[in-house]
Amino acid sequence: MLELKDISAGYGRINALSGVGLKVDAGRVVALLGANGAGKTTTLNCISRVVALTSGEIHFEGQRVDRLASEDMVARGVCQVPEGREIFARMSVRENLEIGAHLRRDTAVIRQDLDRVCEYFPRLRQRFAQEAGTLSGGEQQMLLIARALMGRPKLLLLDEPSLGLSPLLVEQIFAIIRQLNKEGLTILLVEQNARIALNVSDYAYILENGEIAFEGNSADLVRDDRVRQAYLGA
Amino acid sequence: MPISMPAKLSAAAAALIALIVLPQLTSGYVVYLANLMLVYIILAIGLNILIGETGQFGLAHVAFYGIGIYTTAILTSRYGVPFPVAVIAGMLLAGAIGFLLGAVSFRMRDIYLALSTFAFGEAMQWVFKSWDAVTNGPNGMRIPQASLFGFRITNDHDAYYVVLAVAIVTVLVTILLMQSRLGRAFRAVRESEPAALALGVNVRRTKVIAFTLSAVYAGLAGGIFASFSSFIHPDSLGFTTTILVLTMIVVGGLGSIAGAVMGALILGLIQELLRQAPSYQEIIYGVILILFMMYAPKGVIGALKARFSRSGSAAK
Repeated sequence: MLELKDISAGYGRINALSGVGLKVDAGRVVALLGANGAGKTTTLNCISRVVALTSGEIHFEGQRVDRLASEDMVARGVCQVPEGREIFARMSVRENLEIGAHLRRDTAVIRQDLDRVCEYFPRLRQRFAQEAGTLSGGEQQMLLIARALMGRPKLLLLDEPSLGLSPLLVEQIFAIIRQLNKEGLTILLVEQNARIALNVSDYAYILENGEIAFEGNSADLVRDDRVRQAYLGA
Repeated sequence: MPISMPAKLSAAAAALIALIVLPQLTSGYVVYLANLMLVYIILAIGLNILIGETGQFGLAHVAFYGIGIYTTAILTSRYGVPFPVAVIAGMLLAGAIGFLLGAVSFRMRDIYLALSTFAFGEAMQWVFKSWDAVTNGPNGMRIPQASLFGFRITNDHDAYYVVLAVAIVTVLVTILLMQSRLGRAFRAVRESEPAALALGVNVRRTKVIAFTLSAVYAGLAGGIFASFSSFIHPDSLGFTTTILVLTMIVVGGLGSIAGAVMGALILGLIQELLRQAPSYQEIIYGVILILFMMYAPKGVIGALKARFSRSGSAAK
């Protein structure tokens, strides 16, 4: 479904990614792991076309997409859940969700989708008219995911959904991620929490200093000594 | 609890009746003031779209206001263009120049945007002052009496209902616009450009639209001003006036149409009270601006909302 071929990107003279290759097959959860600053978010931003490539190619559903504008990616069904509470704080929860459907014109279906995404996150329904900035950290993360779902994605790019959440909330969020995947959504998951990411994903890549250091089936990586030492603290 | 819909509607109806009978009860001066405040309302709502809704600190608002005034005055006096057509031409010209300003400055933000749009505003005032052949330069320009479908507008009373109708339509259109997809995109750009971008909002286009729209409002305000005013002097189109409008929307509450209306009324009154002391105006606007930013960043509207929701929850 998605393939990155040898992509590089950077900010000014700093190289954030050099020669990253990665594949996400339809229907799977693929994890992209690594330490802070390894280039995980940059990789997602390259896919969603927020950051420009310096070289390499990105293919989505068989077509080359690395020259498209970011809204074209959303229109093709690639929705990003950005890291770090990038909610629209002074807009209502409802408006946050509606912005998720910004490129869609099917008003009636959008209204149904508002109900549908709130079934995953019943708490959002109770907070519909509230300003998003007044939500708790966990609710904001739920809102971010729900907002991306409003775009009816085929591929969901999830950036650090566990960041700053209590273990209980992390579990809830990942239960929903699993459920979404079961219902057919393809997910590329960026995480620092390698344990939980390897647990939900089918396949994983590990980034170090902007390059892929390891890759493999998640089940195998959990047992890999190098991975265990560096990322699982065991 | 928020104020209920019937309460809102009856308040609006009462206000409307008061506005309609106003000229019957008062002198020409009060009607002139009312006209001026309605123009300020249009100006403030326009600036609120750019700064309050979209979060872009464009400080050239008065330049577009001036473009609206001069275009209307020049077209009606020298070329005999009908008044409504001249107003629309002023709006279009202001919008076109606003579009260009937005198109060159959409990359800038915060202080850089504020400074460059400030410079543009100053440059436009210089144009108004120096382009003698067109604007009559520093002597100012007489604005001919407007006539609307055969009716000659000879005084403030005549103009009042036209000005009132335009202001009301502007407010209503803006309310609808801000609830639309475009209004949501404005606010999303204000709240977080990267997140808006990631959700498919064309941030660049949204900003340019906000610049254009805001300029169109200012151009409209200028054209409407020309309906009841008989003279325009470029000195009144300086940065102080932009700051005055900025203070209106900050005092009322950024991002709120009701706030912009309220701020326009409050600051319009203060300006009139200070008419005899123009040298103090800038200082006083500045002080008000700073005090509100520090102690009431959500403005009068924000304070009212907080009060209503508090008394509502206490009643439960």
